[in-house]
Amino acid sequence: MAEPGLVSASERDLVLLARGLVSAQPAELRALLQRPRALPPVISSAAARLLGDALSHVWPALWRRGGTRRSAEIDATIDATIDRPADRAAQVAAPSPAEAMPLGHRAGRFWEHHAPVGLTFSLATLQLLRWLLATRLVAPAGSPLVLPAGAALTVGDQVMVYFALEAMDGTPAQAVLAAQPLVRAAALAWLGFADALGAHGAAVADPLASLCGGAGAIVVEALGDELARRWRAVELRKRAITAPEVLLALGAAQDATLGGFLAACDRHGRRDLAGFVIDAAAPLLRRGIAPMPDQLDPGATLGLRAAARLAAGALLRAVRVWAAWDQAHRGVRFIDDDYPVAQRLLARFEAIGGAGRARAEAWLTELAQLVPRPAPGPVLQ
Amino acid sequence: MRTVHVEDGVAAPLEMLPILAPDRMAELLAGELTGLGFVRAGATCTRTEPDGIEVAIDLERAMVAVTLGAGAELAESVELSAQIAVEAVTSAEARLREDALRQLDDQVDARVVVLQREVTARLETKLAGLQRELDGAVGRATIAALTERAAQLGRIEASHLDEAGNLTIRVRL
Repeated sequence: MAEPGLVSASERDLVLLARGLVSAQPAELRALLQRPRALPPVISSAAARLLGDALSHVWPALWRRGGTRRSAEIDATIDATIDRPADRAAQVAAPSPAEAMPLGHRAGRFWEHHAPVGLTFSLATLQLLRWLLATRLVAPAGSPLVLPAGAALTVGDQVMVYFALEAMDGTPAQAVLAAQPLVRAAALAWLGFADALGAHGAAVADPLASLCGGAGAIVVEALGDELARRWRAVELRKRAITAPEVLLALGAAQDATLGGFLAACDRHGRRDLAGFVIDAAAPLLRRGIAPMPDQLDPGATLGLRAAARLAAGALLRAVRVWAAWDQAHRGVRFIDDDYPVAQRLLARFEAIGGAGRARAEAWLTELAQLVPRPAPGPVLQ
Repeated sequence: MRTVHVEDGVAAPLEMLPILAPDRMAELLAGELTGLGFVRAGATCTRTEPDGIEVAIDLERAMVAVTLGAGAELAESVELSAQIAVEAVTSAEARLREDALRQLDDQVDARVVVLQREVTARLETKLAGLQRELDGAVGRATIAALTERAAQLGRIEASHLDEAGNLTIRVRL
């Protein structure tokens, strides 16, 4: 391996930022981003090597977030060429052993049931890092972070966008970042942060399908637990929202994200990827925590309040899609080819089951009522 | 003088159970609604309340929409004065005109907000009673549908509706 060589101070910050995002060290990152600095238009080859090295740790970082758990996933029947961007700044192969595996579903840890898949990063990742270092993250930001015309984000880029949004969790900087066109073009950002991105409109990034195959699907699998936690936390926050416009924007973004993603999963035969919907909703349904706002601004029009209440049921509508899938899975017979997969998905939906499905439907009916009733209290168990 | 119009409305599904074919369920509901003063026009039943609230029920989609609009002619005036030097009259007058227009707009906006809140409050007061009335109509249509369905299955020997609204129909097949 060649010596990395010397890098300038700004290049060092660039590499530190990439390492910080990948290793999820928000405190250090915030310290790094406190002082915006000018960056030269190009980086040295030594800095590029160091940056490539930092990005090569993205897969292990994802595994640490949940990729090491034992799971059984549906075999990817997706065309692996979904994620093949033209411009690659770096390509890092997942260091997992290739194994010939049968169709159906596969059990084990991720590296046991996935062949190595390259994670690619385009210039957009560099653009993101440079923008973060050069911008004072206060609203409104200076120059916007825009994806060049005709360029598309790779799955690696999307992961870095996700990490960046995560690093800004709970700070005003997240809203600034969420408003940037490049960030909004990342399907993974919508999947993880629909609440933050939805505040600026619900035009969800188009290529949700990029997360249903190849590296994208593995990333979603690895982040499954985290996605569920995020969606559940947003559901809990809904009860305290008083501004109907906020709830409406949130619901529209969630509907667009989940609707698009569930449809993409269905098209690509990867319903299992939408399992985080079950994990997010099941505890809430079990404990009777409905996403009904306690008190919407009485000064708002009735129409707006009614629309907002309806919008609050986005996750429940995704549960309804899962329930319809569940019905279809029950009809798959033992002699059918996809029987193992259907059984696996049936077991997955058990966390919600008939009782949860009925409760979700009741809540959706309640949200659509002409006269809103007070939100039911949680069920004590 | 400025004419303003404000409107508020809400739509919600009616909880119609699919006991009979959708068009038959719609017919039964329409019959109940007609008894409540609704006027049927095709697949829609409408009723205008004395206070101007319009209730429209889409029989095919089993949806109710309640709307209320109100208009007003607002006459607002603003008087501004300023002491200025003779040579600055033209520019000062233009500035005062702009200020006056802005203040007028603000006053009209404030009146519109008040009007909007009045409309919303009137609508909100009406909804609870309307919901009960529609629930009753839907309930009766459901009972009629159940009875009709039972009659299709066999001969109805007895039917009983308890205080809780539970209907029991005994059918001989």
